[in-house]
Amino acid sequence: MTTADCTRCGTLIEAGDLRCAICGEPTSLTVGEVEVEETTLLRCTGCSAALSNDPDQAGGGCGFCGEPLELERSTDPLEVVEETLPFTVDAATAKRALQAWLSDQSFFQPSDLKAMARLDSLRPLWWVAWCFDADALMSWAADSEVGSNQSAWAPHSGQVEMRFENVLVSASRGLSDAEATELAVSYDLNSVVESPEVPDGALREEFDVQRSAARARVQSSLRRVGATRLDLEEVPGSNCRNLHFEPLLRSLETRRIAFPAWVLAYRYRKVLYRVVISGQDAKCVRGKAPFSYAKLLLVIGLAVGGLMLFGLVFAALYFV
Amino acid sequence: MATQEIEVQGHEIRCDECGAILVVGEHLLTARCPYCASTSVVERESTTDRPRPTFIVPFTWSADRVHERLKRWIGNRGMFAPAAFKEAALEGLRGVYVPAWLYGAVGAADYSASIGENYTRVETYTTTDSKGNTVMHTRVVTYTEWRSLNGRYEGWMMDFLVSASEGLKNEELQSVEPFDLRGLRRYDPRLLAGWIAEESSVDRGTCMGDARGEARDRLGGKLAAFMPGDSHRNLRYTAEFSEETAALVLLPVWIGTARYGSKEKQVRVLLNGQTGEVVGRVPKSWWRILLFVLGLLVGVPLLFMGVVGVLGVVFS
Repeated sequence: MTTADCTRCGTLIEAGDLRCAICGEPTSLTVGEVEVEETTLLRCTGCSAALSNDPDQAGGGCGFCGEPLELERSTDPLEVVEETLPFTVDAATAKRALQAWLSDQSFFQPSDLKAMARLDSLRPLWWVAWCFDADALMSWAADSEVGSNQSAWAPHSGQVEMRFENVLVSASRGLSDAEATELAVSYDLNSVVESPEVPDGALREEFDVQRSAARARVQSSLRRVGATRLDLEEVPGSNCRNLHFEPLLRSLETRRIAFPAWVLAYRYRKVLYRVVISGQDAKCVRGKAPFSYAKLLLVIGLAVGGLMLFGLVFAALYFV
Repeated sequence: MATQEIEVQGHEIRCDECGAILVVGEHLLTARCPYCASTSVVERESTTDRPRPTFIVPFTWSADRVHERLKRWIGNRGMFAPAAFKEAALEGLRGVYVPAWLYGAVGAADYSASIGENYTRVETYTTTDSKGNTVMHTRVVTYTEWRSLNGRYEGWMMDFLVSASEGLKNEELQSVEPFDLRGLRRYDPRLLAGWIAEESSVDRGTCMGDARGEARDRLGGKLAAFMPGDSHRNLRYTAEFSEETAALVLLPVWIGTARYGSKEKQVRVLLNGQTGEVVGRVPKSWWRILLFVLGLLVGVPLLFMGVVGVLGVVFS
């Protein structure tokens, strides 16, 4: 892939781009035209995750939710994974982590859960996300309580240079955004390897977004992160409303990364539950397990019963 | 007046009437200017000093579809259009690649404004009731406190299109905008086959002036939305544009003339060759407007009286 930096704002231009996505500067002819290629991928019929087409893996179902996969062809230029982080947690360690997690939470879980959640269905897979760096001159204006008179609010404005580094935007359809956010901190972004070892049965999720949509997602994420930082670091005082800002972006660089994870997906009474373990840190486990309301009722019942008993005994002692 | 098809090798013709300079495909040559239908077009040598287009938005509307679309448009001009307009004949319909500058810059503004911050007070007031007693009431009153705010705003501004065509003025181009710039392609002379393309004939400086004007207006809108507070007034700003960029782009526009009535009145009709949007200044028939107003003046009271009359009969 031929790439170059935009001569005006320093943002990475990609093959086939006619204009810089950030500042609109026309690109030179040498940033080649791309030919349209047909790609095939495996689409999950349940959660609609797009997985790389590996015929050996198609039979095992989707790693995120266990539903069957279907072959899909596309000629749209899709985003492609450029960097893959390796698994540093092996299958045995992942299983131990899962076991520990299951026994940690077991009390309120239904008793037959362990039987349902077969440890051998723990599968290795890579989920995908964008990771971007950028410089931005942020012009902002907002109301805060600082300097207010009669009204509770007073206007403020300012300009500040901000550097965004390694901001992660999940592109995974399999994992929820919350899962991706919690897992994100456990990865070493510098551990990229050329050809990572592929554990048995590993699936790789693909970016399922066209380039323009991807850029919109990255920029809206940048706005979200920027708004939070302005609110915390720049707007004086503790209350803030009407925060408006404009980022003058330069040197936006986006990496498309595949992140390793061990995933256990199972159904309990027809509801999907999932435990995800970071492929680079076995201590980072995120999961949801069914909750047994029967057990909760039992506990509440016991507690109330106990209290009543205690009250009775107390009353008896008092009156006797 | 039939269109003469002539054989020109030089590819370039100039209209003496409106000044448009056109590049014409080898097999589609016309002796009539597509903009003004003038026949005084002069063949000329192509010059190389004019800027080469960087981009092109290809035509997606073919002649047949355009004809159909325009026929429907002509027939659908509402009740105030002259009656003869519905029967207007479409003439000289041509697809032209119109040159325009695609402008972008960093827009910077030093602004100042009065920001209104609201607050409320509970106030008491008295009234006198029917027996002459004084009664106390309370009410919540909203006041606005005006605070001054100064600041600087900087942001990328892009996607401004200004006409570089003598034949299609910037206001006319604006009327057929927007173009979907996702449909932008790198300029390739082969895409011109079968179409007429105009050379940029307005000088770049004039176009940049137009572009900055449009950018200034948009910047003003952005600043108005940027102001905090519950309201604002006296927003003033100085706009400066730096890191400017401009690329020549060819835009697809169908141009034709609708001729109607016994006096052969003409209306220029434009169709956005990418989106199919039609624009044309259809004259209003004052006669019809007058009739409508008279109708309202007479009809509404009549209707009112009728309704009252019916109600009166029903309830009596």
